[in-house]
Amino acid sequence: MSKSFGDVWIFGDYRDYFQNRITLQLIAKGKDLAEMLNTGTTVVLLGEQVHQYAMEYVAHGANTVMVAEHPKLKEYEVETYTTLLSQWVKSYRPEIFIAGATSFGREFFPRLAKRLRTGLSADCVDLEVDPKSLLLVQTTPAFGGELLAEVVTPDRRPQMATVHPGVFRELPHNSEAVGRIIYPDVDVFPEPRVKVIRSRPPIKGKVSLEDASVVIAGGMGLRSKEQFELLYELAELLEGEVGATRPAILSGWADEERLLGQTGKSVKAKLVISIGTSGALQFTTGIQGAETVIAINRDPDAPVFRIVDLGLVADAAAVLPILIETLRRRL
Amino acid sequence: MNIVVFIKQVPDVPNIRIDEQRMTIIREGVESIINPLDCVALQAALELREREGGRITVLSMGPPQSEEALREALAAGADKAILLTDSAFAGADTLATSHVLARAVSKLRPFPDLLLCGMQTIDSDTGHVGPQIAEELDLPQVCGVNEIHVDGDLLVLKRLSEGFLDTIRAPLPALLTVSKELCPVSDLSLGAVEAAFTQKDIIRWAAHDLGLHPDEVGLAGSATHVRKLRQPAARTGGRIVTGSPQSIVDALIRKLESMSILDEED
Repeated sequence: MSKSFGDVWIFGDYRDYFQNRITLQLIAKGKDLAEMLNTGTTVVLLGEQVHQYAMEYVAHGANTVMVAEHPKLKEYEVETYTTLLSQWVKSYRPEIFIAGATSFGREFFPRLAKRLRTGLSADCVDLEVDPKSLLLVQTTPAFGGELLAEVVTPDRRPQMATVHPGVFRELPHNSEAVGRIIYPDVDVFPEPRVKVIRSRPPIKGKVSLEDASVVIAGGMGLRSKEQFELLYELAELLEGEVGATRPAILSGWADEERLLGQTGKSVKAKLVISIGTSGALQFTTGIQGAETVIAINRDPDAPVFRIVDLGLVADAAAVLPILIETLRRRL
Repeated sequence: MNIVVFIKQVPDVPNIRIDEQRMTIIREGVESIINPLDCVALQAALELREREGGRITVLSMGPPQSEEALREALAAGADKAILLTDSAFAGADTLATSHVLARAVSKLRPFPDLLLCGMQTIDSDTGHVGPQIAEELDLPQVCGVNEIHVDGDLLVLKRLSEGFLDTIRAPLPALLTVSKELCPVSDLSLGAVEAAFTQKDIIRWAAHDLGLHPDEVGLAGSATHVRKLRQPAARTGGRIVTGSPQSIVDALIRKLESMSILDEED
């Protein structure tokens, strides 16, 4: 059973739960970090009627879920959440506190870190505990993803980071798992200054890149919208989805909802076939969660070949029609 | 309405190259620009001033050459520019940066009604500094705003948050970070750059002007420390195949078979 002090804390971000698996991904990673530190994993969960999420978090590996249930916590609200969680941090002294780099995570965590006078790194693509110093090494992209920076918070606590969704893999649901769900006292909250008066839920498109098991990703190397559209045929044959790099979307070849990468979606597909993409980290962040990556690019020095399992040096325009024809014949 | 716009001078990131030996970026030959989303914030401030009156102050923390960015902002129509520059400010993380910027705002008289900045910068991309300034000044914050309406001393705002379109009410004074959808910046007129060189002065404040001790700014005042910079690790075991289009397709098909995505042909 975990102790309360020095735990690895995870912010329980449950809005749009079925799309947003970030908290489960962070629990899985949090357990690795906690093991290195010989401590436990605690999810902090704020809201109204959120018990079902607490049960989910335990089933996905949390040792402890600390819950604040209150009608005034129903909406995600930066100042209320900051006040409550800064009090909890001061009482329970977590060693590490991580949140998903969702819109809310990126708005709320900076304010919380500032109130706690501690460090924060943004949109991390990896987290490890350094075995010597036991510091949390927070790997975060810099300069548009051209470089990775390893950031540490040497003296202040907790060590805080937001994490790019999709870079860690959640643990399977285990209904036998045992964990504590505790309800610490919560103070009365002042009226929030910022009020969400309407919140229109996302209009769900058909595209679900995050859940696709095969993703065909296209970039500028396809040279035209007509070439890009061949990817849909390929995706249909392989029962996959089509994703795109930022430049391809800026060229109007695909809609924003197909954007892969740091400012777009991250996949956890079994296979990504990346066609005509050069491989800027901005983009590859989105596909590094795939089990297997195959790339087709005519430039043998394209950076994308550094991250692939199979690299095919060829002009996509020459390969795509043959590939589609071959698959048609076979399927 | 008195507005402060925070701007940061950044390298034009899509054009940077990496020195692979020293693991740093090569700045020579790379243009410095105003962070694009800060330009959106400035444009929005100009439009708000048009409707509501008041003055626009642009604030930037950076090395002396950040003056160029402030001059551009003056040329675009800002009324006043303040450069926060001191060798002690170097190496600041977002905690230390927000401390300096917040302190500078608290020196302004009258205190501004609205504080604006871009929701992210293209070089470090943290999005932390806006909310952290708001926290230090005890102001409400809204991030990623794509519509601003002023109604007396209330703001009505829109923003996209994880696909949800939120309509938000916030009191003034407040700090907003803006998204690129807020307004186009193409009409940010920089035609008067030369005029700005002669007409308006840039105010410079160092740590002691802000009553800040060197220990609370720059690297010394930072909670985080960059241990190293590296290039993304290569995946190992990758096989590279060259050849005719047909042989490329064959290699791909064999891979799909080995992954059981395709059944093997009899």
